[in-house]
Amino acid sequence: MPENPNPSEMPNPSDIPNPSDMPIPSDMRAVGVSHPRLEVVGKLTGDALYTGDLVLPGMLWAKVKKSPHARAKILAIDTSKAERLAGVHAVLTGHELDYRLGLYIVDKDILAKDDVRHFGEAVAAVAADSLEVAEAAVELIEVTYEVLPAVLDPMEAIKPEAPLVHPDLGSYSYVEAAFTPQPGTNVANVTRMRKGDIEAGFSEAEWIIERQYTNPSVQHVPLETHVAIVEWKTGDEVTIWTSAQSPFTVRSLFCSAMRLPLNQVRVIVPHVGGGFGGKAGIHLEPLLACLSRKAGGRPVKFQATREEEFSLLPCRSALTYRIKTGVRSDGKITAQQMTMYWDAGAYADYAVNVTRASGYSAAGPYEIPNAWVDAYTIYTNKPYGTAYRGFGHVEFFWGLERHMELVAQVIGMDPLEFRMKNLLTPGATTLTGERITEHTGDPRKCLQAAAEAIEYGRLTPEEQERQERTGRKIGKGLATLHKAPAMPSFTATAAVVKMNSDGSVVLNIALTEIGQGCATALGQIAAETLRFPVGKVKVAIETDTDKEPYDWQTVASKGLILSGNATVIACEDLLEQAYAVAAQVLRAHRDDLDHDAEKIFLKHNPESSVSFAALSIGYAYPNGNGIGGPLVGVGRYVAQGLSNLDKETGQGLPALDWTYGAHGVIVEVDPDTGEFDVLKIASVFDVGKVINPAIMRGQCIGGMIQGLGTALCEGYIYDQEGHLLNPSFTDNKIPTAKDLPAVIESVAVETAQIDGPFGARGVGEHPMISVAPALGNAIHQATGAELMHMPMRFEDVWRALLDKEPIDNWITESPYGSCRSDLPNAQNPFVAGAGPELQPREAPVATAPA
Amino acid sequence: MTDIFKYRSPVSRAELLGILADHGEDARVLAGGTDLLVDVRNGFARPKVVVDLKRVEGFSDISWSEAEGLIIRPAVTINDLLGHPKVRDAYSLLVACAQDLASHQIRNRATVVGNVVNASPCADMAPALLCLGARAVISSRAGHRVVAFKDFFTGVKSTVLRPGEILEEIIVPPETATARGSYRKLKRIKGHDLGIVGVAAMKKDGLLRLGISSCAPTPLLVEGLSDTDPVEMAVAAAQLAIHPISDLRCSREYREHMVGVFVRRVLQEVA
Amino acid sequence: MRISVTVNGHTYERDIEEHWTLLRFLREGIGLTGTKEGCAAGECGACTVFLNGKTVNSCLALAAEADGGAVDTIEGEARDGRLSAIQAAFSRNHAVQCGYCTGGMILSVRDLLSKNPKPSIDEIKAGIEGNFCRCTGYQQIIEAVLDVSGQLTPATKGELKYA
Repeated sequence: MPENPNPSEMPNPSDIPNPSDMPIPSDMRAVGVSHPRLEVVGKLTGDALYTGDLVLPGMLWAKVKKSPHARAKILAIDTSKAERLAGVHAVLTGHELDYRLGLYIVDKDILAKDDVRHFGEAVAAVAADSLEVAEAAVELIEVTYEVLPAVLDPMEAIKPEAPLVHPDLGSYSYVEAAFTPQPGTNVANVTRMRKGDIEAGFSEAEWIIERQYTNPSVQHVPLETHVAIVEWKTGDEVTIWTSAQSPFTVRSLFCSAMRLPLNQVRVIVPHVGGGFGGKAGIHLEPLLACLSRKAGGRPVKFQATREEEFSLLPCRSALTYRIKTGVRSDGKITAQQMTMYWDAGAYADYAVNVTRASGYSAAGPYEIPNAWVDAYTIYTNKPYGTAYRGFGHVEFFWGLERHMELVAQVIGMDPLEFRMKNLLTPGATTLTGERITEHTGDPRKCLQAAAEAIEYGRLTPEEQERQERTGRKIGKGLATLHKAPAMPSFTATAAVVKMNSDGSVVLNIALTEIGQGCATALGQIAAETLRFPVGKVKVAIETDTDKEPYDWQTVASKGLILSGNATVIACEDLLEQAYAVAAQVLRAHRDDLDHDAEKIFLKHNPESSVSFAALSIGYAYPNGNGIGGPLVGVGRYVAQGLSNLDKETGQGLPALDWTYGAHGVIVEVDPDTGEFDVLKIASVFDVGKVINPAIMRGQCIGGMIQGLGTALCEGYIYDQEGHLLNPSFTDNKIPTAKDLPAVIESVAVETAQIDGPFGARGVGEHPMISVAPALGNAIHQATGAELMHMPMRFEDVWRALLDKEPIDNWITESPYGSCRSDLPNAQNPFVAGAGPELQPREAPVATAPA
Repeated sequence: MTDIFKYRSPVSRAELLGILADHGEDARVLAGGTDLLVDVRNGFARPKVVVDLKRVEGFSDISWSEAEGLIIRPAVTINDLLGHPKVRDAYSLLVACAQDLASHQIRNRATVVGNVVNASPCADMAPALLCLGARAVISSRAGHRVVAFKDFFTGVKSTVLRPGEILEEIIVPPETATARGSYRKLKRIKGHDLGIVGVAAMKKDGLLRLGISSCAPTPLLVEGLSDTDPVEMAVAAAQLAIHPISDLRCSREYREHMVGVFVRRVLQEVA
Repeated sequence: MRISVTVNGHTYERDIEEHWTLLRFLREGIGLTGTKEGCAAGECGACTVFLNGKTVNSCLALAAEADGGAVDTIEGEARDGRLSAIQAAFSRNHAVQCGYCTGGMILSVRDLLSKNPKPSIDEIKAGIEGNFCRCTGYQQIIEAVLDVSGQLTPATKGELKYA
């Protein structure tokens, strides 16, 4: 066994006072420092417990029977053999469960009842003494299906004659303030934005460029798959342990579906092995609760296999995005018409809100005086889309930033110059009519910094030499991005900070640590506010709805602002309580007092002081009298001044904040084969104030690489019956360490968010957005290959280089799964062993100047 | 409802072959487990008995002699192969194919024998063994027979092995030691991936051979070339030999194109 | 079937199901949950352990194969309550986010450094190729390995830049 190469005398991280090499900002001690993660030790040693590690007394194991068909009627389910198997405690089918689920449109049964709507959908479930018994029982369940033709392509599903995924859409309840489902169709929602006068805008244009871009469904691939343990005890007290991003949402959706009072349900979230939006809502918990109840209250555990993660659990919606832009030859955009066709799969889940949130963000960080957005959420018979990092923005920025590049090229302007001409500036208004100020952020600075980081617009001597020596072409591409949190206008959160008897504190918040580093960032914010060293702040990692105060969800990149502010307020509240008691003890006015990390003292006589420890749980006078009591600070913060969007025009104030950013990519392409290598990515984000540089860098690089994965190699592939052909890592690849570009740079801009804690705003999702179009633009610059579909595999670049029919990689025709084009009347050129002549693809629609 | 399969771990060759003869199709051999256990989990293999051959005396040996060449026994892992001094010195083609096989953890377990017995059209070791003129020594309780690797593969995931037989030795003849070799594998990412297209070239003493994977139901050997033939002749021969399909990984025409590209690249390396 | 396995230096005798993987034995048989299941197919490396001195995906090894052998898991990395140099370097360099890949990743790093005390960046990438990480994007993990192997220089130490 290999010995540890350097047997360590290293102290534990918490002993290290200031590990960062970064210079300490002179006015701050905790914020702006690369403090090690507060919960890192347990993760390093394997001691940290994740939901799948938990074993409860009497625990049973669950397995699920899944549909092999994309669309079918369930004619009969025979569970008798399964029920008789020794070791089986409960078997469930859909008709036993009179509950409905749905965040925004209540359209989902816990188990399919009469209709299967996607490949991999659960039709029955078993709880048993062991995994082996559960698996054997599932195999003994006999389901008789009537297989029906599936509707897979959203552009087919939106046609009036398409079979309906949800014939009863008109009877579902839904959030009326925000969504507009269209009963009798496969459209779950339509979101519209109407700004200015689009006809006038197009008539002012000298060029009109219209193109269509697509990307497929993609999986989050958290390394820890979905897992939960649920115990439904006699008396209807339910405890849920779950790997989830939003314990309070799990509780409220659970109670709403199961018709239970909130006080009877407790949700506990231990460590989480990644979420990326896939664990934002409610997933396995209702099914496990029903199994537990049927099994007499025994706790029931289910951990999804990786294959189930790809098809039973939801993914990211696919998108077809059509953009029509009117532009003057001086580069100013005069009008833009944007139509989004979101392929939501079989259930609406978060997809309707992704549609809405993308709707108001659809034009990117550009000033478009006249703009229309029509965004449709379309049901199809495929695994359904849920929240995914970026909430629609990764998907639509692919189209948007490729489009900006193509528009620039059509009018003969450098793409950087074109973007700069149209980027939002202070005083401009967004699609929803919000006015941008100089404090909103600086998209211009981000783009400029990205361009400089890759020396955009020229090849360096080394790059020239490399190009000549290898014969490969080097290209440089840019893309911008923006996003505001997609959340209710009244989103709120609270924080509680409690002092221990030694003067240290514990922070309780329900913003869930899922790897993004929020616990550490909030700990640093608390430390800074209290003027304590970070070592005196403990952030409770496991969230428990019985103990933590409410937080809406750990999504949307809103945590740093909302929970950060709540934390500041809670700490200030704690200090006020301490000061109140100290004023009595020191017989002074509160304004005569100040404090440091250990004590509160008289400003004009610092020797006269009382320690925090002495105040922490009540102060005791020498004679035994007690005053005060345990110091518990409470802070609450609600998003300020946001408003609903008008359903017809989309006007309103939805944005807590805007985080702008840009990427620069340098790529090297083999013009003969389409093989390419990303030489460098540099990404810039305006985060207002960096709370922890190393954690921010980690979020950025992690997001950039996840973005690279979605650009290069990720995507669901189905056959024409709707079977998912790549439900595992064999054919659904994600980046490995070898896929890291040689140089990866992360840059922060700090335009302070006035209403953010220490000026900070969030950046959790943004690093992933626009990586794909930056790469596509770089490949385009290198070789002229026009890529309109994601992912961009080597073969796709080759096809584009040779003007061959592109592959959209969604739905394939042959039994082996060959790919066909998304163009309407294309012949499949790839039938095994034979093939007709390839058709050149359609020329772009671009009208010349009048 | 307990055991999904029984585990046996024989320590002698006779015991191993006896168990396999007795159980026939109910038994599967376990070497590295990196194909078998995946198949068991996915329900493609449902053995009643799994027979671990790693404890059989001598089965982890890899030996070289002037007379016989390189002899690889069944439990030799990919990393064992890569670590053997003679392999590193004299069999650059084996090294080239082995080092790009999956990941380090897999290479610590996957065996050379297992890779070819599994007989995926993508098998990374197959092109090398085909080019090097390797032979398969197949044993059963009844005796043994020798088959050239170019006759070993019969279809997708099928070989000439019959129930009760194991591939006991891979013999790489001494004539192809110190041959120049090169391998190119097309992957979807830079990280570990199965081969979308694989091309190996071996050159020695005027002889030139190509081994191609992922372009037919079996790995292919392209013979009859000499090292003085123009490159385009080798490309044409390769493209005649292959009949790739389009699948979810790649289209037929890109495979055809990349075979040509890779033939040119590997020939440049062995020049 | 009864097996006897030495895990992190401690010998365990347990009855197992013959089809159990080594991963299942570690997690359920002896309660060492630091080794994780990410795919059960030998792709992601979250289940990486040392089996008789070699790093393997424990999801594709049978518990029965470990009979009489030695296994090292992440729980054996820290000694006497102290983090190892690799673990400390991971903490210093922010090579951990959600933590799910961390156990397997650290063992792969230890294996790499035991054979190659000063690996280049490309060698580090090859050494951890079989360990997926979805959170970090690998860069800070690479920096941690450069750090612990004494190779972190101002040029290779990654820093957030400011514009």
